[in-house]
Amino acid sequence: MATEIIVRPWQCIGCSTCALTCSLAHHGVFDTGRANIRICRDEFAGTFELRFSSTCNGCKQCARVCPSGALQLVDVPGKKEREVSSR
Amino acid sequence: MTAIFGYAGKILDIDLSTHSIKTYLPDGESNRKYLSGVGFNAKVLYEELPAGADPLGPENILVFHVGALVGTNVPTASRSEVSAKSPATGLFGTANSGNYWGSELKYAGYDGIVIRGRAAHPVYILVTNDNVRIIPAGHLWGRDAWETIAALRAELRDRDMQVASIGPAGENLVRFASIENGPFDAWARTGLGAVMGSKNLKAVAVRGTGHVRVARRREFMEKVAATRKAIYASPFYGPFERFGTMLVTLPYQEFGILPGRNFQTGIVDGWVESRSRKQVSRYSNRGVACIACPIACAHWVEIKDGPYKGLKVKDMEVTPVIGFGAGCDINNLPAIARITEICQRLGLDMVSAASAVALAMELYEKGTISEGDLGYPLPWGSEEQTFKLLHDIAHRQGIGDTLAEGTRRASDRITGSDKNVPHVKGLECFLIDPRGRWSTWTLGYITNIRGGDHLRTRNPVENLRYNDNPTPYRTEKFAFPEAMYHNLDMPEALKKEIFDPTTRDVDIPKMSKWSEDLISLYNATGMCIRPPVLHTVGPTLIAGLYSALTGIDITPEDAIQAGERTWNLQKLFNIKHGEKPAYSDYPARFYEEPVGAGPQKGRKLDRTKVRETLADYYRARGWDPQTGKPTPQKLAELKLDDLF
Repeated sequence: MATEIIVRPWQCIGCSTCALTCSLAHHGVFDTGRANIRICRDEFAGTFELRFSSTCNGCKQCARVCPSGALQLVDVPGKKEREVSSR
Repeated sequence: MTAIFGYAGKILDIDLSTHSIKTYLPDGESNRKYLSGVGFNAKVLYEELPAGADPLGPENILVFHVGALVGTNVPTASRSEVSAKSPATGLFGTANSGNYWGSELKYAGYDGIVIRGRAAHPVYILVTNDNVRIIPAGHLWGRDAWETIAALRAELRDRDMQVASIGPAGENLVRFASIENGPFDAWARTGLGAVMGSKNLKAVAVRGTGHVRVARRREFMEKVAATRKAIYASPFYGPFERFGTMLVTLPYQEFGILPGRNFQTGIVDGWVESRSRKQVSRYSNRGVACIACPIACAHWVEIKDGPYKGLKVKDMEVTPVIGFGAGCDINNLPAIARITEICQRLGLDMVSAASAVALAMELYEKGTISEGDLGYPLPWGSEEQTFKLLHDIAHRQGIGDTLAEGTRRASDRITGSDKNVPHVKGLECFLIDPRGRWSTWTLGYITNIRGGDHLRTRNPVENLRYNDNPTPYRTEKFAFPEAMYHNLDMPEALKKEIFDPTTRDVDIPKMSKWSEDLISLYNATGMCIRPPVLHTVGPTLIAGLYSALTGIDITPEDAIQAGERTWNLQKLFNIKHGEKPAYSDYPARFYEEPVGAGPQKGRKLDRTKVRETLADYYRARGWDPQTGKPTPQKLAELKLDDLF
């Protein structure tokens, strides 16, 4: 079994907890500009874009803290992936 | 330079008269005593603003300060506080707002902005990291807040620019003008938008690409995880995530404590079917959060049919729904969503605006003002006319010019109207009816620094299950399982004084002091007061988060004392600026007129019992029980005696 992130963009509430947590985990400071996931808000439209960068190493911290279910961890059948840890 | 953790570090000090822009670093002792947010603001304003300063004059000082926990992943840490001498009350004016403005200022490198003087022509302040400029805003003056925010994002080519803006109401010095925080949030109450307008300051736009450092990362992460766990475990969490603040619309109607038709009735016909939380899902299917918030109490609203088809707005928030839906009897949520948009664009505090419109409707009903005075009829529930009246207020046209002065001053100008105005110290209280429900909240209407305020004296374990209370004035009821009060983060000795587990009574004067100190601590650290947080995140978690983040170690006792210190400092400001003991009292209507309809029909307030409860509250605070003045002993205990 492998654990993967599923993404449900329609559930995003635009809180940026994912980006804040990612930046602390990977860069040791709160700097959403450097996070591997960023939430881009169109405030007037009430919409959010979830932008993942290829710098993401799959540590899944973002999905563990996402409060809305937009990012969620699921077990999927298949080869167990190489474990990746955050810094 | 020593590394700074948690705080951004610098304060911007801008004089709009001279265009001088300075920065300075507050000392660590100041941070420890006053923390941030309302604490910082209260110290600056108490020390620097002379008694007699004109709230709309250049000598007033407008202070923005961001909570120390903001810019991190502490759940709900999004809030910043803006303060000045209030044009509505002449006392400490202050307001708190979330969204993304505060975090952006910290990422730009500043914890706060102190704004002095008056610009000769309309300007806006632009902060982009180290680059701070005062820029002509003649092309923005006259535009509403939404247009201003969109225009600045377009001309600065940055959709992520966070903009605090006033609308026409602030420009025209409406005494309850708000400062809009982005299009949909606001530092709303006490007329701070008029202070900005009086300085010819249209907006403060901020963009930051820096970061916030953490002193002790592992410890901080553990505290954040504990805070998140506590909030999720709250029985309020699920209902609040689903309904937001609309949650209370059912109990208030059931209890009969709505401000129906300017506090004439406690119930509203058709309320449940047309204006309650049962209707939310018709217009909204998702929530919108402030930065770092897991609750997302705000609803994204889209109206798909009817006369307001096409309207999109955040939020279906209970304050305008009760203010306009009950107070003015406007009988549908789409119309109230339109009013929300109008108030956001014009830059009006929706609580005070609802009270002003309700006052006009009652005076029209009674014949005190006529269609000739208004220019149009204004029966209860009018929609188009309410939109028109809000525009008239914001632009000071016709009778709008009188109402723009706030309901207290308006009633001075309109003969025979003084009994119809529900204000305390010049700020309208317009949510629930104290004649029908005596609680920490309702005592808070008269103990609050800001005046008739419902947001800063909130029992963290407020009873929304039932309203029956055989011993009002002295106590309210605790309606939760006993485990909840055992788990409440409050010193055990104080719990024994406040809670009686046998009768389930809660001592109102002592709970009011605790609630105010706790909310003061929240407003001094950037946390949000929504019930799932207020009842689970207390001084212990906040002290732990603050210490691990900033490296400035404080105990839970230090933390709650900082909240108490800030409250006392605001009270000293009020006394210095002319507050009299008699101001802390209810409007005449609540003593002299009974509730007109509903389960609370016939009830009035008892003056003697109110005075006794207030005196007990003053004793709980260590203040003079007759005058409410902080005693020298209390000030020494709080280490505020160094200010004299």
